[in-house]
Amino acid sequence: MHHAERDDYTAARRGVRSTLAEYPGDEGMKVDDLLPVKTIHAPTDPAAVVDIVRDCIASRTPIYPIGGGAALDFGLPAKTPGVGLSLAGLSRVIDYPARDMTVTVEAGIRINDLQKLLAIERQRLPIDAPQADQATLGGIIATNTSGPRRYANGTLRDYAIGISAVDGHGTTFKAGGRVVKNVAGYDFCKLLTGSLGTLAVITQVTLKVKPIPERSAVVVTPFRDVNHAESLLNTVSQSRTAPAAIELLVGPAWKNDPALGDLLPGQRGFIAVGLEGTEPEVRWMIATLIEELSSVGNARSLPAVAGGVPEAPSDVATSTRPTERHRGRSLQSDAREVATAETDALWQRLTEFPATGDAPLTLKVSVPPSYVIAMVELILAADPNCSIQSHAGNGIIVARFAEFSSTAFSKVLIGGLQPAAQRYAGSVTVLRAANPAELTHQAAWGNLGDSAMLMEAVKRQFDPHGLFNPGRFVYFAQ
Amino acid sequence: MATTVSNPLAELTDELRRILGHEGVLSNHSELVVYECDGFVIEKNCPDVVAFPQTTAAVAEVVRLANRLDVPIVPRGAGTSLAGGCLPVGGGIMLVLTRMKAIEEINLRDRYAVVQPGVVNAWLNQALRGTGFHYAPDPSSQGACTIGGNVATNSGGPHTLKYGVTVNHVLGLEAVTADGRIVRLGGPCEDSPGLDLVGGLVGSEGTLVVVTKVWVRLTRDPQGWRTMLAIYDSIDDATNSISEIIGAGIIPAALEMMDHGILVGVEQAYRLGFPLDAQAVLLIEVDGLEAGLDAQRDQIVELCRKCNAREVRQAKDAKERQLLWKARKQAFGAVGRLAPSYCTQDGVVPRTKLPHILRRITEIGAKYDIRIVNVFHAGDGNIHPILLFDERDREQIGRVLKASEEILDECLACGGSVTGEHGIGVEKIGFMRKMFNEDDLAVMERYRQAFNPRGRLSPAKMLPTAGACGIEQKHPGRRAAL
Repeated sequence: MHHAERDDYTAARRGVRSTLAEYPGDEGMKVDDLLPVKTIHAPTDPAAVVDIVRDCIASRTPIYPIGGGAALDFGLPAKTPGVGLSLAGLSRVIDYPARDMTVTVEAGIRINDLQKLLAIERQRLPIDAPQADQATLGGIIATNTSGPRRYANGTLRDYAIGISAVDGHGTTFKAGGRVVKNVAGYDFCKLLTGSLGTLAVITQVTLKVKPIPERSAVVVTPFRDVNHAESLLNTVSQSRTAPAAIELLVGPAWKNDPALGDLLPGQRGFIAVGLEGTEPEVRWMIATLIEELSSVGNARSLPAVAGGVPEAPSDVATSTRPTERHRGRSLQSDAREVATAETDALWQRLTEFPATGDAPLTLKVSVPPSYVIAMVELILAADPNCSIQSHAGNGIIVARFAEFSSTAFSKVLIGGLQPAAQRYAGSVTVLRAANPAELTHQAAWGNLGDSAMLMEAVKRQFDPHGLFNPGRFVYFAQ
Repeated sequence: MATTVSNPLAELTDELRRILGHEGVLSNHSELVVYECDGFVIEKNCPDVVAFPQTTAAVAEVVRLANRLDVPIVPRGAGTSLAGGCLPVGGGIMLVLTRMKAIEEINLRDRYAVVQPGVVNAWLNQALRGTGFHYAPDPSSQGACTIGGNVATNSGGPHTLKYGVTVNHVLGLEAVTADGRIVRLGGPCEDSPGLDLVGGLVGSEGTLVVVTKVWVRLTRDPQGWRTMLAIYDSIDDATNSISEIIGAGIIPAALEMMDHGILVGVEQAYRLGFPLDAQAVLLIEVDGLEAGLDAQRDQIVELCRKCNAREVRQAKDAKERQLLWKARKQAFGAVGRLAPSYCTQDGVVPRTKLPHILRRITEIGAKYDIRIVNVFHAGDGNIHPILLFDERDREQIGRVLKASEEILDECLACGGSVTGEHGIGVEKIGFMRKMFNEDDLAVMERYRQAFNPRGRLSPAKMLPTAGACGIEQKHPGRRAAL
């Protein structure tokens, strides 16, 4: 074969697109801004992915895997020139045995397309992914995307039961399988979830799926201050109901929300509790939860927290523990069900929050749930106009700053929020920054401690030449 | 000054006594024999010495000693593995973690507990009784097995259908690495930055690190239960019911099946009033909010009847519920009435393939003239065929082994797995090449290299690489539990 012919052949087979203009259907992706790539390969079969990866290994060319392009600005900015590898052309449904409640699909399938397919059988992947018309399954697995319903349903690591991928040796491998219970071999489904495409290019996934619940509702209540909020959260965490989501919502993004209603003077934010189940279950849960929330802050003593709950560190969290301060005061809770017509749209806004707007900085904080309020206070001290969504039952906080100067990374993050979260064994990471050039390893990922060397050892085994998403993830802090 | 340096074993024992004290080390042959195998009794090998550390620091010191003297280490919990996960293949140090048995913290507000690896699974739930929370993974050996062992094998149990297996309930680990460093991965918080090494270590069967502490997720107790027992004249009707129930969008807390063979044994032993001509029974339990349970029960009863259930019994109260569960939980005790010896397998098939695999098991039993009875986690397709035989008959043993292998091959042909919850250990190592190709295994081997480059931790386990070509089975297990 002549050289030129071979180039034509491989170009056609791999679906090379040399400019963004030729890239199909992703005008909003802005790859050129976010990745130092001139070429985006868009293969349409797994064998072509292997060819591309092997060629890149041979020429030591960095590879930036691309799903739907919804989270390309996550992590440290990419600096080393390389090629893009779009998986969007790998979107076939391999097998959907609905009665087994599993589905095997290629990694490039859009989340909306996957959910539409599952909905035909009244099933779903119960993971809330923003930009679902754009985001791909491989992409949300690589970024470990989650949302409000993680309280009841867990995260992607609980659903990926089989995976195929191409590692940095150019080896296609699989792990797990297509059955819901399987302990043969190492669990690379978990390892690759949240690995930001730095270990291998995911080509195919088998998922466990769940039935779509008959009914979904949200009960919302405003809170006045941190004590009130903690009392409400404590009550929800011990509720007789089984919430699907426990959300704490503060800041401008939630003002004038058509579903949540207006905050009255003296009210600081909302607690929204998602409920899912059969019609009678949800009806009972709405009534029960409203009753439980309404008693919070009234004369009756708060539910006791049994067991070995540690004392809060005195510097921050003392004021957030449930106290007797409300004893004897008659404080009516305003818990109510969100109107049915508004419920779906509210779920949608709760899902999209991390990806909405053009905040100069979006953070993700993880702490034990009882420290959520303390962290929210610290974030608000850094930016009083910050918009905050916390999956409070899981201890996850997403904060969209209204104002943030990139010079404040070291003061606010490294000197403030990160050590505060670490005191509670937690972490602060950057989801998105308007000025990523200023982002340092420490600001983006925090201090990984002694786990870093194990992660680096794993990275070296999967990607010995350091070609997958170089410089963007947690490894090799300078 | 070190004594008897000329004798490596003596040096090892002396050094271990220095670290752990006299009461922390066993070295007499009569004591070592206890540790020559676990619940998998086909192959046996004595460790050179047994060590009982009581702290993480001591574990780290023992691991560093093993490195210095170049001896293998096999971590062990209660030794309930049914796959030889604790078999000390290359001798060396058996690191028994049962003396690290403290429940360090129970935090209900933040829904986690911190336990040392030697805490017995059932102890944690005893400690949680009355709090409204429990630890969900419930392997049937939960009265004996340790949480450290559950982490190593990613244990399941009857309630995994709805609640998930061990890995779905582990938030964090403290571990000692193969070079003797202490690391913490995850913890009380979700979504630790970086790789999910916790997920990547659960189920690694002691081949990557020694786990010294576990942060587990606690689950709210369900408000109520409805327990049913459906009786069938054919196995197909029973397995079709399973498909119908789950197809209707109901995920029972447990869905267990027993066939005619095991029922006869159970009825002889406990006289629970099962019709002896029934071909199969399903034990079905739904749990959750009271508000939804009656409707789910009614729907299940209707679906079972539609699938030709002869009778559907319902437990009216807690006492009747216990009675229905008694048949399932004590089924294994009844096997002794059926044959002098038995061995069980741990295959998995997609649940819609259950009718097929059960027919094939019957055919395979007939082909090898081995009686096989079934009691298993039907809801998630995890079969546990029990092969009955007489171990005094060498020729029969050969047929049992062939039948076992053929059953597991059939599971693979159905797109399933050779182990749902027992692990690979040494028992199933020969099947790894059937489930995974050379490339898959090469990536797993490189992953192991990242943690355990010298191969001193649990050598010759899980991967069919050099030194672990699979142990030739000469003799099926006498004892097993589900």
